[in-house]
Formats: sequence, structure tokens, C-alpha cells
Amino acid sequence: MTTPGSAVLRGSLRLTRRRLVVGSLFGIGYQGGEALVPVLIGVVIDRAVATGDAGGLALWLGVLAATFLVLSLSWRFSARYSMYAAVEVERDLRMRLGRRILDPRGGAEAGHLPGAMISIATSDVRYVAGVADMVPRAVAAVVGVTVASVALLTMSVPLGLLVLLGTPPLLFLSQLVSRPLERRSAAQQEEAAQAAGVAADLVRGVRVLKGIGAEEHARERYRRVSRRSLHATVATARAQGGYEGAVLALNGLFLALVALVGGLLALHGSITVGELVSAVGLAQFLAGPMQSAGDIAAVWAIGRASAVRIAGVLEAPWAIAAGETIPAEPVRGELRLESVAEVPGGPGVDLVAVPGTVLGVVADPPAAAALLAWLGRERDPGGGRLLLDGRPFADLDPDALRGAVLVSAHDADLFGGTLHENLTAVAAGDPSGAIAAAAADTVAAALPAGHDTAVAERGSSLSGGQRQRVALARALAAHTPVLVLHDPTTAVDTVTEARIAESLRELRADRTTVLLTSSPALLAVADSVVVLREGRVAATGTHSALLRDDAAYRATVLS
Amino acid sequence: MTGTANTAILPVATPARVRRAIAELIRPRRAQALVALLTLAASAAISLLTAPLLGRVVDLAVATQRGEPTGSLATPVLSLAGVALVQGALAALGFVLVARLGESVLASLREDFVDHALRLPLARIEQGGSGDLTSRVTDDVSTVSEAVRTAFPEVARSALVIGLTLVGLLALDWRFAVAALLAVPVQAWTARWYVRRSGAIYAEERILTAVEHQQLLDSVGGARTVRAFRLADPHLAAIRTRVDAVIDVAMRLLRLHTRFFGRLNVAEFIGLAAVLVAGFLLVRSGTATIGEASAAALYFANLFTPVNGLLFLLDRVQSATAGLGRLVGVVDMEPPAEPLDPVRAGDGSVKAVGVGHSYTDGHDVLHGVDLDVPHGAHVALVGASGAGKTTLAAILAGVREPTRGSVHIGGVPLADQGQSLLRRTIALVSQEVHVFAGTLVDDLRLAAPAATDEELRAALRTVDALGWVEQLPEGLETVVGSGGHDLSVMEAQQLALARLVLADPPVAILDEATAEAGSAGARRLEGSARAALQGRTGIVIAHRLTQAATADAVVVMHDGRIVEHGTHDELVAAGGHYARLWAAWTASG
Repeated sequence: MTTPGSAVLRGSLRLTRRRLVVGSLFGIGYQGGEALVPVLIGVVIDRAVATGDAGGLALWLGVLAATFLVLSLSWRFSARYSMYAAVEVERDLRMRLGRRILDPRGGAEAGHLPGAMISIATSDVRYVAGVADMVPRAVAAVVGVTVASVALLTMSVPLGLLVLLGTPPLLFLSQLVSRPLERRSAAQQEEAAQAAGVAADLVRGVRVLKGIGAEEHARERYRRVSRRSLHATVATARAQGGYEGAVLALNGLFLALVALVGGLLALHGSITVGELVSAVGLAQFLAGPMQSAGDIAAVWAIGRASAVRIAGVLEAPWAIAAGETIPAEPVRGELRLESVAEVPGGPGVDLVAVPGTVLGVVADPPAAAALLAWLGRERDPGGGRLLLDGRPFADLDPDALRGAVLVSAHDADLFGGTLHENLTAVAAGDPSGAIAAAAADTVAAALPAGHDTAVAERGSSLSGGQRQRVALARALAAHTPVLVLHDPTTAVDTVTEARIAESLRELRADRTTVLLTSSPALLAVADSVVVLREGRVAATGTHSALLRDDAAYRATVLS
Repeated sequence: MTGTANTAILPVATPARVRRAIAELIRPRRAQALVALLTLAASAAISLLTAPLLGRVVDLAVATQRGEPTGSLATPVLSLAGVALVQGALAALGFVLVARLGESVLASLREDFVDHALRLPLARIEQGGSGDLTSRVTDDVSTVSEAVRTAFPEVARSALVIGLTLVGLLALDWRFAVAALLAVPVQAWTARWYVRRSGAIYAEERILTAVEHQQLLDSVGGARTVRAFRLADPHLAAIRTRVDAVIDVAMRLLRLHTRFFGRLNVAEFIGLAAVLVAGFLLVRSGTATIGEASAAALYFANLFTPVNGLLFLLDRVQSATAGLGRLVGVVDMEPPAEPLDPVRAGDGSVKAVGVGHSYTDGHDVLHGVDLDVPHGAHVALVGASGAGKTTLAAILAGVREPTRGSVHIGGVPLADQGQSLLRRTIALVSQEVHVFAGTLVDDLRLAAPAATDEELRAALRTVDALGWVEQLPEGLETVVGSGGHDLSVMEAQQLALARLVLADPPVAILDEATAEAGSAGARRLEGSARAALQGRTGIVIAHRLTQAATADAVVVMHDGRIVEHGTHDELVAAGGHYARLWAAWTASG
């Protein structure tokens, strides 16, 4: 059966198969050596301690030394090659996910919260890589069990059979007693995670708490959550203690059984004393590799579930119909919407942004969001079409189109790096004009290291107003033939906003600019303003004319 | 206060202080700790009987094969079974007792930490301690919890098994113990070698993993912006660099681990060979039986796991100690001094006299600001960024101490009111929106724990939020905040205003509370803010001039000074700074 998930998993293992083979070979050396150590202890007892033969002692200690050397080096390289395999898978999947998510045609995020996407790119990738890491260990465990079995059966068939047939039921019994523990542990982890989460959450919101004098209540709440978590943890500890005690007792009882049977065989002379010692050692050794063999099923199941989620992202359908044509140079910058509608046959928007002018668009939030998504090619409208210089968007290469038409949302993300890096990453030429126009120069001046100040995750270290001005400067610095700005100054004070509106107009003098906003300061500098209501153009005119003649416009913009 | 403290980073306790703090936490649970320790020791001691009993079986076999008279196999085998059962029971009990002790200590510590963290003065947190505090409550608490949960019982058990095994070897013959101790120098040297290196690599791994995570947050979380600005290639290159950096450090860590265990293998061989040689010599000289020699070898072979485990956990113990230092450091911070006899404000009037402030000497951001807001009045602060509005708001709210001048609320100087009383008199709703994780009910009750559901609804209705709250999948019981239902910026800010209504202080200061919600949202929020301020003195930092137009008075700030002060109509008529702004706003000029 080839589901997309198992294809991802198998593809990953195939990619790194050479490393898996090498890792497995070394793993075999390691487990084989581990299995030989108890056997050799028995041999030393038989051939040297019991006989008093000094030559035998030297010989077998030499063999023991060689075994240690082999098992130690084998483990070292087995672990390294398993890790090489795992990181190869990790790197490959993470880059494939990155490429798919950032593809110009989009669509990978559909149906996922941002947090879920991050967890797929981190945890799920790690679980699939965990399968690669486990394969050599699994192979080695099987070999270790085999070596120990052969050694036991060679000494004595009944004793060998006892250990070999007795160990799996022992492990099964251990698994059985661990069931209630697993259930309880899941509940406890949730409680504990909640206590940790509540603490972090309260500390993050400490300014808000202090602002309204709620620290006392917050402390009481945390104490309650913390106590609940403590009770859950102690309950789990009880289950875990019971489990560990039971496993210890079971192993001890099994050992007593092996000692009984082995002792009887030795009393009858069917095995040597050294073989008895080896058998006891092997019975203790075998539980390890057999346990690992049992863990494999769990790692595989988790890896497969993760692979399904990864496949869901990698194989998500594109968000838009994309062509391959590159917009003809030079781009004039005429943006035209023809009966563009949310649903086919619904009311449509017709408008033209004339090259070299500033067009103001006033729309309610859902309409503005839709317009922004269509213009930014995040999704296609249900009906009608958009054109750049007379060419339909759907015919154009989306990445090249974005080079001509830049859409900057009011909540556009800033990226890690310095302020300067954020501003220059997309700049065409010298960004200083754009920085001044967006009043972002004062942002840098107010920061400790000026333009070289590091911007925290998505700009969270800047205030809303600072972030918005930097984002605006970045959009202006790209100097694209068409620029669509959505509410670029909502977090900027009125004094600065008025200044930005003037400089923006000057900076974009011979290019096309669309301002999707209801800010009067910005609309005042537009050459014309279009008002959208209920999915169609309701009014057109200059800001001052609309203010004068259109009561609804006045209410929307000035209230 | 202990440890080193510079102005920005919160203090870290010294290792000696951490030990004292732990001892203080354990002291009330002394009896519990003693019983736990004794139980573990008893369990480990019982387990040591296994090897000599197996040796007894061997001796019986040897005697029989040599044709000597022997005892019954039943005694050692039944004893083995008995040992297994008793050991299992004691181990279970010991585990539970140790876990309960560790977890109770941990719970007390984390509660103390949160308690003190929330008590820190805001100005102290804003001095750059905010990220530090968050990382302590997340990373350090989890490192310490992890250690208490896994490393602590493991270390305790391993140490006991090792100690008692040595006792067991001594009991067989002191020369076995000496042989086994030959492994110790190699182990000690290996442990030192490992701990010296591992700390730095683990720290580097944590940093690089955080950097990688942030890159993914940036690129994946900001995918839309990456596409819009055609930044996919540089972002993919950055992801590759970060991923490779993490892989590189992980490989270095693995190489360290493999070398560590390689060296321990050498120690294992040295010890095992020495014990076998000792057995050989002792059996030849007739001082020990073959069974005793076998028992000694089995003893030593059973030490591999606990010894390796113990040494491997040393670095975890080390990082947990570092984490503890950072937790205890905060717990040890003195809470800010409160006046002995706090005076409650008479009413909601706010008066600032000659307030000046500078963050760095000689660079004043406020110059002699005088402000008089009568009880119940609403004042709008207008001015460009950097004019000093936010600093003034923080000083009026008593969050920041002014360099010069004084602030009185209800006729009482701020310093005489004390923080806990003051916070009930004056609330500051800042630009920062934080939705507390949990249900909406829990979030709102932070402001008023005793409020009934009906009062919560009323507060939401006041700020025009009841509509969307009732649309939520589970209404007031909907889980919001990190990991829950995502609220829009506007909804989160309305929630902040609803908390203000519930806290019901006589004075409220709103700083940029309507920013960032988009222009349509901002208008709706203005309505919410106006409603939330009903019946209290309000000082609003205005972003939209419509907020100023509806206020009782407008204060225009420029370069840290009040340049205009009056009603909206007066200022428009005066034809100054404000009038020009208003003209630009209404496009009538």
C-alpha cells in the first residue's frame, strides 16, 4: 500500500540507505560483542579460574580485551552512521518543506495554523529522522539476540530454549504492566505542560497584569495549577514506581528460574560451571536487545504518522493558477480589475489604477482582505479577472508578477536580522529615500544600535508603530512599478502619518500606487478614490469631493 | 540580594546559595527525605544478595561435579526468588518516595519563582529583564523539572547501587574491591573530561536550535510576506545554514558521547579483567571459592549500567544546578519597599507638577510637565512619536519614577500609596496585547476573581465584545491565547478593555490601545475605549484625532513639553499646531 505518508517515509530511508547499511554493520559488531562478554566471563571461569591455568587466563583476557575493543569501536561508528543517516533525512525533509511552503504558487499552508506548520517542520521531521536513526539499532538488536541464542543453544538445548522462550513472555508481561502507566503519563504530561504553560504565559503578560493590578490573582491561579500538576505527577510516580518494581521482580524471578534449571543441569554435569555463569549473564543481557526490538514498532508508528502530515504539506494543491509569461518590460503599471468577484456570477469589481497615479480604495475589512489576496496572488477570485498592462494575472509567472506588483499588508512580517538587513533585503538601489518617506529613520534613531539593532522574531521587539514604519519603508524601497499598501499607518501617530502621506506621494510620483485604507490623511493625497460596498464599486471621486457629497463616505472615513 | 547583578540582567544565585536554598526547601520534609533514602538503600542492599546467591549455585555445581557432598539447590534458588520480590517492592516504594519529595520541592520552588517574578517592579522588568525572565520561567524551570523527574532518581539509585556493590565486593574479599577500584581513575578522568566539554556544546546546541526555530518561525510563519517580496531564495539559504549549524553541533555532541562511552569501555575492561585476575589468584591460593570469584565478576558486570548512567547524567545535574541558580536568583530578589502606612487616593483626580525625566543623564525626554486632570475628566495626549507621551503615561501610572517633579492621584503623592494600593487606583492599558492562555472566563477573572458570569457578560457588552464572544464555538468557555482560539488584534484589545472595566479603577490610562487593529477596527475600538472609560478619569494617548475631538481636553506634546492645552474647539480656533493637524486629518485645509 503506498499512501503519501509511507512514500515519504520509504523515500527518506532509500535516500540514506548507504549510511543505514554501514551503521547496521557496525551495530552488528557492537551487539555481537556485548553478547560475547558474559560468554567470555564464563569461559574465563572454566578455563582459568577453575583450572588455575595462567596461560589460559592470559589468552582469554586477551580475547576479552579484543572483544571490548571491537564492541567499543563498533558502537562508536554505528552511532555516528545512524546519526549521519538521520540528519541526512532531516535536512532533506526540512528543505523540501521549506521549498514547498515558500513556493510562489502557495497553497501549502491551507488548513494549517502557523503553529502547526512549524511543528510539522520541526517535530514531525525529527520523528521521521528518528526512524532512520533506529534502523541500524533494530538490525543490531536482532543480531545480538541471534548471537546470544546460538551461544546458549550450543551450551545446552534445554537451557537455551528456556531463556529464548522465556524472555519474550517476560517482555510482554512488562509491557502489560506498563499500559496503565502510559495512559496516566499522558494525562500527567498534559497537566505538567499546563503548569509550565501557565507560568510562562503569566510572566509574559506581566505588564498587562500589573497594568490592572491583577498580580495577586495571577499568583493564586498559578498556585492552584501547580498543585494540580503536583498531584498528577505524584500519581504517575506511583504508577511508575509500581511498574519499575514489577519489572525488577519479574526479571529477578526469571533469573531464579534460570539459576534453578542451569544449576540442575550443572549438578548433573550436562553443562560446565562456566557455562552456568554465561547462561545467567546472557539471560540478563538478552532483555536489552529484545526491548529495543519492541521499541521499534512504536518509533515506526510515530514516524509514519508524522510522515503523513509532512506528505500533506508537500502534496498540497497550488493556491493559484500560474502561467509562465514574464511581464513585458518596461512595465507601465496599469492595474485593471474586470468584474472580479468572490463567487462566480456574484457582484463584481471593475476598476483601473492609472499608471503614475495614486488610487485610494475604501473597503470593509473582508472586502479589503479579499482584494489584497487576489492582488498578491495568494488566491484566485471566484469570477472575473485581474490584468497588468492588459495581461491576465493567470497567464503570468507569479514570482515575476510580484516583481512588478508588490502587495504589502498592514500586518506584513519583519524578519530576523538587523533593521538594516530588513530594509535592504528587497531594496532596488539606495533605500534611504524610502526610509525617510516612511519616517523609519526616527525608528532607527530611537533604537540602541540604530540601523544595526537586531529585530526579534517577526519584529516583536519593535512597537507596533515602529514595526509598521519599517515595513512601509521596506515596501517603498522595492520601487516596484505597482505598489499596493494596506492600512500602512494605523499604528502611526497622526502627526507622522500626515508627513508620511506627503512624502509617499512624492516618492511614488511616476509609478502606480494603490492605497487600501480609510485613513483621511492618506486618502487626501490620492488622485482618486474608489469606494467598494457589497462587492462592487459604489462611488468614485476625489477625497474632498466624496467628503462633500457622500454622507456614507464621510461617516466611514471621519467617524 | 545574592550573586552578581548588573543593571539589566536579573541576578543569578551562587552554587553555595543554591545548596542552601535546596536545604531550606527540604527541611520541612526532613522525615520524608530520610525514609525515602533508607528505602532506596534497603532496596539496593537487597539486590546485592543476588550475586552471592548465584555464586552459591555455582559452588554447589562445582562441589557436585567434584563428587563432594553438597547442600540443596532449593535454598539459594528460593532465596533468589525472595530477593526479587522484596527488591521489587522496596524499589517501587523508594521510587515513589523520592519522586514525591523531588516533585514537592520543585512545586514549591516554581511557585516561589512565579510569585517573585510577578512582584518585580515593572521598571526593573523593562530594564531588559523581560526576555530573561521569560527564558527562566520556560527553559530553566523545564531543565530543572526534567532533572528532578529523570536524572535525580537515577543518580540517587545508581550512586547507592555503586556504593553498596563495593561493600558487597568487600564482604566477599577486600581484594575484589581493590581490583574493581582500578577502574575508578579512568572513570573519574573520563567524567571530568566529559563535563568540561559537554556544558559548552549543550549550551551551543540550545542556542543554535533556538536560532533555527526562529528562522522557521520567520520563514514559515511569514511565508506570505516572503512570497510577496520574492525572498524565497535567501530564506531557503538561511534555513539551510541554520539547519546545517544544528546538525553540525549535534554531530559534535554525538562524537563527544561516543568518545565518552569509548573511554568508559576501557574502564570496564580494566575493572573486569582485574576482578577476574583477582578471582584467579584467590581461587588458586585457596582463599576464595570459584563461586565467590563468579559472584565478584557478576557484581562488576552489573555495575556497567549504573556507572555509565551516573557519569552520563553528571552534565544534566550540572545544567540543572545552573538553572536552579537562575531561579533562586529571582526568588532572592527583594520585593520593592512599600510604605508602612499606605494612604488611599481621595478621588480620581490626577496632578503632575514639574515632571521631568531622563533615561540617560543630560538627555531629558520630559521637561517640567504640569498637568491637572479633574476627577472624571477625559484627556487626550496628542503628539508625534518621541514627543514623550508614553514616558509621561508610565510616570502618571506610577510605573516609572520621574527624575524630577511629582505626581498626585486624588491629592495623595504616588509614593505614599504603595504599589499594591496604587494598582487598584490607576490602571494602565498598554499597547502590548496579551491574551492569557485558558478560557475567556479565566482571562477576565484575572481582573476580578469574584465576578459572576453575568458581570463578565456585562463588561464584554460595555466594550462591544459580547457579540463576537457569543459567536465563539464555546462562548465564554472558549479556550483562547497561545494554543487556543486565535483572537484578532481588535478582539484582544477589547478583551484588555473588558478587564479594565472589571478591575474598575477610578483612573485609567490608555496607551496606544487602538493601534494595529486596522482602520476599521481602530474606529470600533475607540467606541469600546470610550465606553470603558465611562465613570472614571481617563488619559488616552490618541492616535486618531477623532479620539481627541471627543475628549474633554486635548494636550499637545512636542519634544517632551506640553505645547498646547485646551478643548478641541479652542485648539482648532487657536490655529496652532493642533489646528494644522486637524486640517490635514479632515482634508479641509
